[in-house]
Amino acid sequence: MPDAPALALLLAWGTLVGLDLVSVPQAMIARPLVAGTVAGWIAGDTEAGLRVGLLLELLALDVLPVGASRYPDYGPATVGAAAFAAAVGGWESSLGIAAAIGVLVALVGDWSLFRLRHRIARDIQAHAAALASGDSGAIRALQWRSIARDAGRSVALTALALALGAAATRWLSLDMVTARMLSMVAIGCGLAAMVGGAIRSAGRGARVRWLAIGAVSGLALVLLR
Amino acid sequence: MTGRLRAFLRLYAVQGAWNYERMLGVGMGYAAEPLLEDLRRIDPVRHTEAVVRSAQFFNSHPYLAGLALGASVRAEYDGAPGPQVSRLRTALCSPLGALGDQLFWAGLLPAMVGLALAAIALGAGPWMVVAFLLAFNLVRAWTAGWALRTGLRTGMMVGTAIGSSLIPRAATVAGAAAGFSVGLAAPLVAVWLAGALGRAELLGAAGVAAAGVVASRLAGPRYAAPKFALLAFGVTLLFRWVTR
Repeated sequence: MPDAPALALLLAWGTLVGLDLVSVPQAMIARPLVAGTVAGWIAGDTEAGLRVGLLLELLALDVLPVGASRYPDYGPATVGAAAFAAAVGGWESSLGIAAAIGVLVALVGDWSLFRLRHRIARDIQAHAAALASGDSGAIRALQWRSIARDAGRSVALTALALALGAAATRWLSLDMVTARMLSMVAIGCGLAAMVGGAIRSAGRGARVRWLAIGAVSGLALVLLR
Repeated sequence: MTGRLRAFLRLYAVQGAWNYERMLGVGMGYAAEPLLEDLRRIDPVRHTEAVVRSAQFFNSHPYLAGLALGASVRAEYDGAPGPQVSRLRTALCSPLGALGDQLFWAGLLPAMVGLALAAIALGAGPWMVVAFLLAFNLVRAWTAGWALRTGLRTGMMVGTAIGSSLIPRAATVAGAAAGFSVGLAAPLVAVWLAGALGRAELLGAAGVAAAGVVASRLAGPRYAAPKFALLAFGVTLLFRWVTR
């Protein structure tokens, strides 16, 4: 696993990434493609981080973060998964295990976000009188407390992802065939999520035609290369 | 720093206190605070009422929330009756949510991510990630600035301003672009990731992908990609344990 300064940087990056998903600034650093690439760079293997990030990005494309819907928190999960892949080396055999770590932690992230939203609602109820009296200080305090809670949630989630990665590096020993097979399955799951999500979003209108035109163009590029 | 600039920056944290009760309400109140400062001097009673209204229930797409923020603040300064300001906020929830979701979450974001994925698969490398971040955030910052300016300029007439703006047309175009770029990226990414493992692995990944798409069609809303992935990992490990 990475050394102590790199671990501290990964923890800080995971926290920023966790905050970015909903709280602040929603600049898309929480997208797995971004979170994974930067985490790989911090951990010393940008290529591994890019591949893990790209694979988890395919899974993230399955769900749109619309309205009050629930969705996995892939950001901090990707940071841990990318750090694992960078530490192990040889992305072909580590991609599947990294994806499994990422998916598991992303689901925990979904649950933690749900709990956080209820916690903030309770905080608002507790300060309902101050809000009803037009106390700007109460609004500011609620806002900052909520962001601080999300930062705590993000630190914990990143730490969990890094710990799972460290545990897998230390104790998980798979033969090469199984490891590569897991990578293959992870890629298949990512592609299924991407294509399935695109078909669902496309519906039956013009967008589905554009999806088909895009797929044919992509296939043509593959054949031409 | 001017009140308008502070409000613009605070809009980046408009979902900081997102919850199932007031949704973006507290974040909107936080962003409105610098804009309402002058009202405290002009009419302290009205200012207190405006602060209360600013933090009430509100929900919309976060990037377009500036339209509602600007419009309601302008209405407060114009002396519109309080219930009318509250109705304006409520009336803006659905259109701003639907337009923003179509334009950003279902349009621009998958379109740009799809292009970035395709470019990486074609050999663009990690710098494509930086390009994606810059491009997306330029559009987002421009939209947020436009939204706040337009809201503050038009007040109660903000609905007309939204209808005549580029936003509704851009949402349609972005949806088509998203379909195209995700379709374009899928085969390129498949070959870039699985092709590097070998021809057999590429076919295997395509088989798993086909099974996943069929499962998502059959299971409908109950399908969740992460759970399908965990199930597939479990089946793979079981298969290897049995066949070794």
